[in-house]
Amino acid sequence: MIALENFSVNLGQFYLKNINIRVAKGEIFAILGATGAGKTVILEALAGLYTAENGAIYIDQQNVSNTLPEERNLGYVHQDYSLFPHLSVYQNIEFGLKIKKIPKTERLNKVKDISHVLGIEHLLSRYPRTLSGGEQQRTALARALVMNPKILLMDEPFSALDCNTKERMYDMINMIHERYGCTIIFVTHDLHEAKRLADRVAVIQNGELKMICSSCEIQNKDLL
Amino acid sequence: MKSPQKHVYLFDILANLTAVLVMLFILVALSSIVVKGFPYIGEAFLSEEVRFAVKLSLYTSSVSTLVCLLLAIPTAYAVTKTSLPFKRFFEIIIELPLSLPHIVLGLCLLLIFSSDFGTFLKAHDFKVIFEVNGIISAHIFINLPFVIRIIKTAFMGVDSRLEFAARTLGASKFKMFWRVTLPLSKNAVIGAMILAWSRALGEFGGALMVAGITRMKTETLTANVYLNMATGDVGQALASATILLIISLISLLLFNAFNKQTGLKILCCINT
Repeated sequence: MIALENFSVNLGQFYLKNINIRVAKGEIFAILGATGAGKTVILEALAGLYTAENGAIYIDQQNVSNTLPEERNLGYVHQDYSLFPHLSVYQNIEFGLKIKKIPKTERLNKVKDISHVLGIEHLLSRYPRTLSGGEQQRTALARALVMNPKILLMDEPFSALDCNTKERMYDMINMIHERYGCTIIFVTHDLHEAKRLADRVAVIQNGELKMICSSCEIQNKDLL
Repeated sequence: MKSPQKHVYLFDILANLTAVLVMLFILVALSSIVVKGFPYIGEAFLSEEVRFAVKLSLYTSSVSTLVCLLLAIPTAYAVTKTSLPFKRFFEIIIELPLSLPHIVLGLCLLLIFSSDFGTFLKAHDFKVIFEVNGIISAHIFINLPFVIRIIKTAFMGVDSRLEFAARTLGASKFKMFWRVTLPLSKNAVIGAMILAWSRALGEFGGALMVAGITRMKTETLTANVYLNMATGDVGQALASATILLIISLISLLLFNAFNKQTGLKILCCINT
Protein backbone atom coordinates (compact mmCIF):
# COMPACT_ATOMS: atom_id res chain seq x y z
CA MET A 1 0.00 0.00 0.00
CA ILE A 2 1.17 3.52 -0.82
CA ALA A 3 -0.04 6.55 1.05
CA LEU A 4 0.59 10.25 0.78
CA GLU A 5 -0.50 11.87 4.03
CA ASN A 6 -0.99 15.64 4.21
CA PHE A 7 1.83 15.80 1.73
CA SER A 8 3.04 19.25 0.64
CA VAL A 9 5.96 20.24 -1.56
CA ASN A 10 7.16 23.78 -2.13
CA LEU A 11 9.01 24.24 -5.40
CA GLY A 12 9.13 28.01 -5.20
CA GLN A 13 6.99 28.77 -8.24
CA PHE A 14 4.73 25.80 -7.61
CA TYR A 15 3.12 24.56 -4.43
CA LEU A 16 1.65 21.09 -4.00
CA LYS A 17 -0.78 21.41 -1.10
CA ASN A 18 -1.85 18.89 1.45
CA ILE A 19 -2.27 15.80 -0.74
CA ASN A 20 -3.94 12.73 0.78
CA ILE A 21 -3.94 9.65 -1.45
CA ARG A 22 -4.02 5.95 -0.58
CA VAL A 23 -3.35 3.38 -3.25
CA ALA A 24 -4.05 -0.29 -2.47
CA LYS A 25 -1.63 -3.08 -3.32
CA GLY A 26 -2.12 -4.30 -6.89
CA GLU A 27 -4.32 -1.35 -7.85
CA ILE A 28 -4.03 0.66 -11.09
CA PHE A 29 -4.36 4.27 -10.04
CA ALA A 30 -4.52 7.31 -12.31
CA ILE A 31 -3.58 10.87 -11.40
CA LEU A 32 -5.59 13.04 -13.75
CA GLY A 33 -5.30 16.77 -14.37
CA ALA A 34 -4.52 19.51 -16.81
CA THR A 35 -0.97 20.53 -17.76
CA GLY A 36 0.74 22.26 -14.83
CA ALA A 37 -1.72 20.88 -12.25
CA GLY A 38 1.03 19.11 -10.30
CA LYS A 39 0.53 15.49 -11.40
CA THR A 40 4.17 14.86 -12.28
CA VAL A 41 5.33 16.52 -9.05
CA ILE A 42 3.33 13.90 -7.09
CA LEU A 43 4.91 11.08 -9.08
CA GLU A 44 8.42 12.53 -8.74
CA ALA A 45 7.87 13.05 -5.01
CA LEU A 46 6.84 9.39 -4.71
CA ALA A 47 10.05 8.44 -6.50
CA GLY A 48 12.09 10.59 -4.10
CA LEU A 49 13.01 13.62 -6.15
CA TYR A 50 11.57 16.15 -3.70
CA THR A 51 11.66 16.54 0.04
CA ALA A 52 8.29 17.09 1.68
CA GLU A 53 7.61 20.45 3.27
CA ASN A 54 4.86 18.81 5.33
CA GLY A 55 3.39 15.35 5.62
CA ALA A 56 4.84 11.98 4.68
CA ILE A 57 4.93 9.20 2.12
CA TYR A 58 4.32 5.63 3.28
CA ILE A 59 5.08 2.46 1.33
CA ASP A 60 3.86 -0.70 3.07
CA GLN A 61 3.38 1.23 6.32
CA GLN A 62 6.98 2.45 6.26
CA ASN A 63 7.69 6.15 6.16
CA VAL A 64 9.92 6.61 3.12
CA SER A 65 9.85 10.43 3.07
CA ASN A 66 13.60 10.59 3.69
CA THR A 67 14.53 7.45 1.77
CA LEU A 68 16.81 8.00 -1.22
CA PRO A 69 15.31 7.36 -4.71
CA GLU A 70 17.69 4.42 -5.30
CA GLU A 71 16.44 2.70 -2.14
CA ARG A 72 12.70 2.95 -2.80
CA ASN A 73 12.48 0.03 -5.26
CA LEU A 74 10.03 1.83 -7.52
CA GLY A 75 9.92 1.50 -11.29
CA TYR A 76 9.64 4.84 -13.08
CA VAL A 77 8.74 5.40 -16.72
CA HIS A 78 9.34 9.00 -17.75
CA GLN A 79 7.12 10.97 -20.08
CA ASP A 80 9.89 11.22 -22.68
CA TYR A 81 11.12 7.71 -21.67
CA SER A 82 14.57 9.09 -20.70
CA LEU A 83 16.48 6.22 -22.25
CA PHE A 84 20.24 6.56 -21.92
CA PRO A 85 21.34 7.66 -25.40
CA HIS A 86 24.88 6.28 -25.04
CA LEU A 87 23.65 2.77 -24.25
CA SER A 88 22.00 0.18 -26.49
CA VAL A 89 18.50 -1.12 -25.73
CA TYR A 90 20.09 -4.17 -24.08
CA GLN A 91 22.39 -1.99 -21.96
CA ASN A 92 19.49 0.30 -21.05
CA ILE A 93 17.42 -2.61 -19.76
CA GLU A 94 20.45 -4.13 -18.06
CA PHE A 95 21.41 -0.84 -16.37
CA GLY A 96 19.68 -1.36 -13.01
CA LEU A 97 20.67 -5.03 -12.81
CA LYS A 98 24.31 -4.08 -13.35
CA ILE A 99 24.07 -1.45 -10.62
CA LYS A 100 22.73 -4.17 -8.29
CA LYS A 101 25.70 -6.36 -9.27
CA ILE A 102 23.50 -9.20 -10.58
CA PRO A 103 25.73 -11.87 -12.24
CA LYS A 104 26.12 -11.58 -16.01
CA THR A 105 24.26 -14.76 -17.00
CA GLU A 106 21.34 -13.89 -14.73
CA ARG A 107 21.26 -10.40 -16.22
CA LEU A 108 21.21 -11.82 -19.71
CA ASN A 109 18.30 -14.14 -18.86
CA LYS A 110 16.30 -11.40 -17.19
CA VAL A 111 16.81 -8.97 -20.09
CA LYS A 112 15.85 -11.68 -22.61
CA ASP A 113 12.73 -12.62 -20.61
CA ILE A 114 11.40 -9.09 -20.25
CA SER A 115 12.22 -8.14 -23.82
CA HIS A 116 10.36 -11.26 -24.99
CA VAL A 117 7.31 -10.31 -22.92
CA LEU A 118 7.32 -6.78 -24.34
CA GLY A 119 8.18 -7.86 -27.87
CA ILE A 120 11.43 -5.93 -28.19
CA GLU A 121 13.85 -8.86 -28.51
CA HIS A 122 14.77 -7.76 -32.04
CA LEU A 123 15.72 -4.27 -30.83
CA LEU A 124 18.29 -5.20 -28.20
CA SER A 125 21.35 -4.15 -30.21
CA ARG A 126 19.83 -0.86 -31.37
CA TYR A 127 20.33 2.58 -29.82
CA PRO A 128 17.42 4.71 -28.51
CA ARG A 129 17.74 7.37 -31.22
CA THR A 130 16.88 4.75 -33.84
CA LEU A 131 13.64 3.62 -32.12
CA SER A 132 10.08 4.74 -32.74
CA GLY A 133 8.00 6.24 -29.90
CA GLY A 134 6.27 2.92 -29.18
CA GLU A 135 9.57 1.03 -29.19
CA GLN A 136 11.15 3.55 -26.83
CA GLN A 137 8.11 3.23 -24.60
CA ARG A 138 8.41 -0.53 -24.39
CA THR A 139 12.16 -0.26 -23.76
CA ALA A 140 11.54 2.17 -20.90
CA LEU A 141 8.90 -0.19 -19.50
CA ALA A 142 11.28 -3.14 -19.80
CA ARG A 143 14.04 -1.17 -18.05
CA ALA A 144 11.71 -0.44 -15.13
CA LEU A 145 10.04 -3.89 -14.96
CA VAL A 146 13.26 -5.91 -15.12
CA MET A 147 14.03 -4.62 -11.62
CA ASN A 148 10.85 -6.35 -10.41
CA PRO A 149 9.48 -3.24 -8.69
CA LYS A 150 6.58 -3.44 -6.25
CA ILE A 151 5.25 -0.20 -7.64
CA LEU A 152 5.41 1.09 -11.21
CA LEU A 153 5.13 4.85 -11.71
CA MET A 154 4.43 6.14 -15.22
CA ASP A 155 4.42 9.79 -16.22
CA GLU A 156 2.10 10.46 -19.17
CA PRO A 157 3.30 7.19 -20.70
CA PHE A 158 1.11 7.31 -23.79
CA SER A 159 1.01 11.01 -24.61
CA ALA A 160 3.49 10.80 -27.48
CA LEU A 161 1.94 7.75 -29.13
CA ASP A 162 -0.53 7.51 -32.00
CA CYS A 163 -4.04 6.06 -31.38
CA ASN A 164 -3.29 2.52 -32.61
CA THR A 165 -0.06 2.24 -30.63
CA LYS A 166 -1.85 3.64 -27.58
CA GLU A 167 -4.52 0.91 -27.77
CA ARG A 168 -1.80 -1.77 -28.03
CA MET A 169 0.04 -0.25 -25.08
CA TYR A 170 -3.16 -0.21 -22.96
CA ASP A 171 -3.46 -3.97 -23.52
CA MET A 172 0.21 -4.37 -22.73
CA ILE A 173 -0.15 -2.49 -19.43
CA ASN A 174 -3.06 -4.73 -18.46
CA MET A 175 -1.00 -7.79 -19.37
CA ILE A 176 1.96 -6.51 -17.31
CA HIS A 177 -0.34 -5.82 -14.38
CA GLU A 178 -1.73 -9.35 -14.50
CA ARG A 179 1.64 -10.97 -15.02
CA TYR A 180 3.75 -9.04 -12.51
CA GLY A 181 1.01 -8.03 -10.06
CA CYS A 182 2.64 -4.70 -9.31
CA THR A 183 0.79 -1.60 -8.22
CA ILE A 184 0.64 0.92 -11.06
CA ILE A 185 0.30 4.66 -10.60
CA PHE A 186 0.22 6.69 -13.77
CA VAL A 187 -0.23 10.33 -14.62
CA THR A 188 -2.43 11.44 -17.50
CA HIS A 189 -4.40 14.39 -18.79
CA ASP A 190 -6.62 12.08 -20.86
CA LEU A 191 -9.93 11.14 -19.25
CA HIS A 192 -10.47 8.26 -21.70
CA GLU A 193 -7.07 6.82 -20.79
CA ALA A 194 -7.82 7.03 -17.07
CA LYS A 195 -11.21 5.36 -17.54
CA ARG A 196 -9.74 2.71 -19.83
CA LEU A 197 -6.89 1.64 -17.54
CA ALA A 198 -7.35 2.72 -13.94
CA ASP A 199 -9.37 1.24 -11.08
CA ARG A 200 -9.52 4.63 -9.37
CA VAL A 201 -8.69 8.18 -10.37
CA ALA A 202 -7.42 11.20 -8.42
CA VAL A 203 -8.13 14.59 -9.96
CA ILE A 204 -5.50 17.28 -9.35
CA GLN A 205 -6.04 20.99 -9.92
CA ASN A 206 -3.54 23.78 -9.26
CA GLY A 207 -1.51 21.67 -6.88
CA GLU A 208 -4.55 20.52 -4.88
CA LEU A 209 -6.38 17.21 -4.75
CA LYS A 210 -9.89 17.85 -6.02
CA MET A 211 -11.40 14.37 -5.73
CA ILE A 212 -10.73 10.64 -5.76
CA CYS A 213 -13.27 8.29 -7.26
CA SER A 214 -13.73 5.07 -9.17
CA SER A 215 -12.79 5.37 -12.84
CA CYS A 216 -16.36 4.42 -13.79
CA GLU A 217 -17.78 7.38 -11.91
CA ILE A 218 -15.54 10.10 -13.24
CA GLN A 219 -16.96 12.48 -15.83
CA ASN A 220 -15.75 15.38 -17.92
CA LYS A 221 -17.31 17.95 -15.59
CA ASP A 222 -15.11 16.72 -12.74
CA LEU A 223 -12.10 18.07 -14.56
CA LEU A 224 -13.47 21.62 -14.83
CA MET B 1 10.92 23.44 -64.11
CA LYS B 2 12.01 26.81 -62.74
CA SER B 3 15.27 26.76 -60.85
CA PRO B 4 15.19 28.59 -57.51
CA GLN B 5 16.33 32.21 -57.78
CA LYS B 6 19.73 32.80 -56.24
CA HIS B 7 20.10 36.09 -54.34
CA VAL B 8 23.44 37.78 -53.84
CA TYR B 9 23.62 39.76 -50.61
CA LEU B 10 26.17 42.52 -50.10
CA PHE B 11 26.44 41.63 -46.41
CA ASP B 12 27.33 38.01 -47.27
CA ILE B 13 30.00 39.21 -49.73
CA LEU B 14 31.57 41.52 -47.13
CA ALA B 15 31.49 38.78 -44.47
CA ASN B 16 33.10 36.29 -46.86
CA LEU B 17 35.76 38.81 -47.82
CA THR B 18 36.56 39.47 -44.15
CA ALA B 19 36.78 35.72 -43.49
CA VAL B 20 39.20 35.28 -46.39
CA LEU B 21 41.37 38.18 -45.15
CA VAL B 22 41.45 36.82 -41.58
CA MET B 23 42.28 33.32 -42.77
CA LEU B 24 45.04 34.64 -45.09
CA PHE B 25 46.54 36.78 -42.31
CA ILE B 26 46.75 33.77 -39.94
CA LEU B 27 48.01 31.47 -42.67
CA VAL B 28 50.75 33.89 -43.81
CA ALA B 29 51.85 34.61 -40.22
CA LEU B 30 52.12 30.92 -39.34
CA SER B 31 53.62 29.92 -42.69
CA SER B 32 56.38 32.49 -42.28
CA ILE B 33 57.57 30.59 -39.19
CA VAL B 34 57.26 27.19 -40.84
CA VAL B 35 58.98 28.26 -44.07
CA LYS B 36 61.91 29.90 -42.28
CA GLY B 37 62.11 27.39 -39.41
CA PHE B 38 61.76 24.13 -41.32
CA PRO B 39 65.36 24.08 -42.68
CA TYR B 40 66.65 24.26 -39.07
CA ILE B 41 64.45 21.46 -37.67
CA GLY B 42 66.94 18.65 -38.32
CA GLU B 43 69.70 20.64 -36.68
CA ALA B 44 67.38 21.52 -33.78
CA PHE B 45 66.63 17.86 -33.05
CA LEU B 46 70.37 17.15 -32.90
CA SER B 47 70.67 19.75 -30.16
CA GLU B 48 70.47 18.27 -26.67
CA GLU B 49 68.96 21.50 -25.41
CA VAL B 50 66.03 21.36 -27.84
CA ARG B 51 65.43 17.69 -27.10
CA PHE B 52 65.40 18.56 -23.39
CA ALA B 53 62.95 21.40 -24.03
CA VAL B 54 60.62 19.16 -26.06
CA LYS B 55 60.67 16.47 -23.36
CA LEU B 56 60.12 18.99 -20.55
CA SER B 57 57.27 20.67 -22.45
CA LEU B 58 55.55 17.35 -23.08
CA TYR B 59 56.07 16.25 -19.46
CA THR B 60 54.85 19.47 -17.79
CA SER B 61 51.87 19.80 -20.16
CA SER B 62 50.81 16.19 -19.59
CA VAL B 63 51.13 16.29 -15.78
CA SER B 64 49.36 19.65 -15.49
CA THR B 65 46.55 18.49 -17.80
CA LEU B 66 46.02 15.36 -15.72
CA VAL B 67 45.91 17.36 -12.47
CA CYS B 68 43.56 19.89 -14.10
CA LEU B 69 41.16 17.10 -15.07
CA LEU B 70 41.27 15.50 -11.63
CA LEU B 71 40.41 18.84 -10.01
CA ALA B 72 38.04 20.14 -12.68
CA ILE B 73 35.68 17.15 -12.87
CA PRO B 74 34.56 17.18 -9.20
CA THR B 75 34.51 21.00 -9.14
CA ALA B 76 32.35 21.18 -12.26
CA TYR B 77 30.05 18.54 -10.75
CA ALA B 78 29.77 20.50 -7.49
CA VAL B 79 28.79 23.76 -9.19
CA THR B 80 26.33 22.16 -11.62
CA LYS B 81 24.77 19.16 -9.91
CA THR B 82 24.82 19.78 -6.17
CA SER B 83 23.22 22.29 -3.84
CA LEU B 84 26.54 23.93 -3.03
CA PRO B 85 25.79 27.16 -1.11
CA PHE B 86 26.90 30.46 -2.70
CA LYS B 87 27.32 28.66 -6.04
CA ARG B 88 27.43 31.89 -8.08
CA PHE B 89 30.17 33.28 -5.83
CA PHE B 90 32.19 30.08 -6.35
CA GLU B 91 31.75 30.35 -10.11
CA ILE B 92 32.88 33.98 -10.23
CA ILE B 93 36.01 33.31 -8.16
CA ILE B 94 36.86 30.16 -10.15
CA GLU B 95 36.48 31.98 -13.47
CA LEU B 96 38.30 35.14 -12.42
CA PRO B 97 41.74 33.92 -13.65
CA LEU B 98 40.28 33.58 -17.16
CA SER B 99 40.27 37.35 -17.51
CA LEU B 100 43.73 37.96 -16.00
CA PRO B 101 47.05 38.05 -17.90
CA HIS B 102 49.12 34.91 -17.39
CA ILE B 103 52.01 36.94 -16.06
CA VAL B 104 49.79 38.26 -13.24
CA LEU B 105 48.67 34.72 -12.42
CA GLY B 106 52.32 33.69 -12.32
CA LEU B 107 53.03 36.58 -9.95
CA CYS B 108 50.22 35.34 -7.65
CA LEU B 109 51.85 31.91 -7.53
CA LEU B 110 55.27 33.45 -6.94
CA LEU B 111 53.89 35.29 -3.91
CA ILE B 112 52.16 32.16 -2.55
CA PHE B 113 55.18 29.92 -2.98
CA SER B 114 57.56 32.57 -1.61
CA SER B 115 55.49 32.80 1.57
CA ASP B 116 55.63 30.60 4.68
CA PHE B 117 53.51 28.08 2.81
CA GLY B 118 56.22 27.79 0.15
CA THR B 119 58.88 27.44 2.84
CA PHE B 120 56.80 24.68 4.45
CA LEU B 121 56.55 22.84 1.10
CA LYS B 122 60.27 23.30 0.50
CA ALA B 123 61.01 21.83 3.92
CA HIS B 124 58.98 18.77 2.87
CA ASP B 125 61.01 18.38 -0.31
CA PHE B 126 58.48 19.98 -2.66
CA LYS B 127 60.30 22.86 -4.31
CA VAL B 128 58.34 25.13 -6.63
CA ILE B 129 60.19 28.38 -7.23
CA PHE B 130 62.70 28.07 -10.12
CA GLU B 131 61.81 24.38 -10.42
CA VAL B 132 59.86 22.19 -12.85
CA ASN B 133 57.06 22.04 -10.22
CA GLY B 134 56.73 25.78 -10.73
CA ILE B 135 56.02 25.32 -14.44
CA ILE B 136 53.40 22.65 -13.66
CA SER B 137 51.80 24.84 -10.95
CA ALA B 138 51.57 27.75 -13.38
CA HIS B 139 50.01 25.55 -16.07
CA ILE B 140 47.45 24.23 -13.58
CA PHE B 141 46.56 27.68 -12.24
CA ILE B 142 46.15 29.09 -15.73
CA ASN B 143 44.29 26.16 -17.30
CA LEU B 144 42.12 24.95 -14.43
CA PRO B 145 39.37 27.61 -14.75
CA PHE B 146 39.30 27.02 -18.46
CA VAL B 147 38.93 23.22 -18.09
CA ILE B 148 36.29 23.67 -15.36
CA ARG B 149 34.29 25.93 -17.64
CA ILE B 150 34.29 23.44 -20.52
CA ILE B 151 33.35 20.48 -18.33
CA LYS B 152 30.77 22.53 -16.44
CA THR B 153 29.06 23.42 -19.73
CA ALA B 154 29.03 19.72 -20.67
CA PHE B 155 27.57 18.66 -17.30
CA MET B 156 24.90 21.33 -17.57
CA GLY B 157 23.95 19.86 -20.94
CA VAL B 158 23.24 16.42 -19.48
CA ASP B 159 19.49 16.04 -19.06
CA SER B 160 18.68 15.84 -15.35
CA ARG B 161 15.83 13.43 -16.15
CA LEU B 162 18.40 10.89 -17.36
CA GLU B 163 20.22 11.24 -14.06
CA PHE B 164 16.96 10.86 -12.15
CA ALA B 165 16.14 7.77 -14.24
CA ALA B 166 19.48 6.28 -13.16
CA ARG B 167 18.63 7.00 -9.51
CA THR B 168 15.25 5.28 -9.80
CA LEU B 169 17.09 2.25 -11.22
CA GLY B 170 19.13 1.97 -8.04
CA ALA B 171 22.19 4.07 -8.86
CA SER B 172 23.77 6.08 -6.06
CA LYS B 173 24.85 9.63 -6.90
CA PHE B 174 28.37 8.43 -7.64
CA LYS B 175 27.19 5.57 -9.89
CA MET B 176 24.79 7.94 -11.63
CA PHE B 177 27.68 10.30 -12.29
CA TRP B 178 30.04 7.51 -13.37
CA ARG B 179 27.61 5.70 -15.66
CA VAL B 180 25.45 8.53 -17.01
CA THR B 181 26.77 12.08 -16.50
CA LEU B 182 30.42 11.39 -17.29
CA PRO B 183 29.90 9.12 -20.34
CA LEU B 184 27.47 11.67 -21.78
CA SER B 185 30.12 14.39 -21.29
CA LYS B 186 32.94 12.24 -22.64
CA ASN B 187 33.57 14.24 -25.80
CA ALA B 188 33.76 17.51 -23.90
CA VAL B 189 36.12 16.05 -21.30
CA ILE B 190 38.45 14.71 -24.01
CA GLY B 191 38.23 18.01 -25.87
CA ALA B 192 39.02 19.95 -22.68
CA MET B 193 41.97 17.66 -22.06
CA ILE B 194 43.44 18.19 -25.53
CA LEU B 195 42.92 21.95 -25.44
CA ALA B 196 44.38 22.26 -21.94
CA TRP B 197 47.37 20.22 -23.03
CA SER B 198 48.06 22.36 -26.08
CA ARG B 199 47.53 25.58 -24.09
CA ALA B 200 50.00 24.35 -21.47
CA LEU B 201 52.45 23.53 -24.21
CA GLY B 202 52.37 27.12 -25.46
CA GLU B 203 52.25 28.81 -22.03
CA PHE B 204 55.11 31.16 -21.23
CA GLY B 205 54.35 34.20 -19.04
CA GLY B 206 52.99 32.39 -15.97
CA ALA B 207 55.72 29.75 -15.90
CA LEU B 208 58.38 32.43 -16.42
CA MET B 209 57.28 34.22 -13.23
CA VAL B 210 57.35 31.09 -11.07
CA ALA B 211 60.07 28.92 -12.58
CA GLY B 212 62.16 31.42 -14.49
CA ILE B 213 64.21 30.18 -17.45
CA THR B 214 67.29 28.16 -16.57
CA ARG B 215 68.94 26.34 -19.49
CA MET B 216 68.47 22.58 -19.29
CA LYS B 217 66.44 22.91 -16.08
CA THR B 218 63.24 24.89 -16.58
CA GLU B 219 63.65 25.38 -20.29
CA THR B 220 60.42 24.47 -22.09
CA LEU B 221 59.95 24.89 -25.85
CA THR B 222 58.46 28.37 -25.46
CA ALA B 223 61.32 29.31 -23.11
CA ASN B 224 63.74 27.91 -25.69
CA VAL B 225 62.24 30.18 -28.38
CA TYR B 226 62.60 33.17 -26.05
CA LEU B 227 66.17 32.32 -25.02
CA ASN B 228 67.31 31.77 -28.61
CA MET B 229 65.74 35.02 -29.76
CA ALA B 230 67.34 36.86 -26.84
CA THR B 231 70.78 35.48 -27.77
CA GLY B 232 70.27 36.18 -31.48
CA ASP B 233 70.01 32.55 -32.61
CA VAL B 234 66.98 33.16 -34.81
CA GLY B 235 67.31 29.86 -36.70
CA GLN B 236 67.03 27.78 -33.53
CA ALA B 237 64.17 29.93 -32.28
CA LEU B 238 62.28 29.40 -35.53
CA ALA B 239 62.95 25.66 -35.42
CA SER B 240 61.56 25.40 -31.87
CA ALA B 241 58.57 27.52 -32.86
CA THR B 242 57.93 25.18 -35.81
CA ILE B 243 58.03 22.15 -33.51
CA LEU B 244 55.49 23.89 -31.23
CA LEU B 245 53.32 24.66 -34.21
CA ILE B 246 53.37 21.06 -35.43
CA ILE B 247 52.46 19.72 -31.95
CA SER B 248 49.64 22.29 -31.65
CA LEU B 249 48.33 21.38 -35.10
CA ILE B 250 48.24 17.70 -34.17
CA SER B 251 46.40 18.44 -30.90
CA LEU B 252 43.90 20.67 -32.72
CA LEU B 253 43.23 17.91 -35.27
CA LEU B 254 42.77 15.44 -32.41
CA PHE B 255 40.41 17.89 -30.68
CA ASN B 256 38.31 18.20 -33.83
CA ALA B 257 38.21 14.45 -34.29
CA PHE B 258 36.92 13.90 -30.73
CA ASN B 259 34.48 16.78 -30.84
CA LYS B 260 32.76 16.61 -34.16
CA GLN B 261 29.52 17.51 -32.41
CA THR B 262 30.47 19.23 -29.17
CA GLY B 263 33.50 21.12 -30.43
CA LEU B 264 31.54 24.16 -31.47
CA LYS B 265 29.83 24.36 -28.12
CA ILE B 266 33.17 24.17 -26.34
CA LEU B 267 34.75 26.86 -28.47
CA CYS B 268 31.71 29.07 -27.80
CA CYS B 269 32.05 28.64 -24.06
CA ILE B 270 35.75 29.50 -24.19
CA ASN B 271 35.00 32.78 -25.87
CA THR B 272 32.24 33.93 -23.55
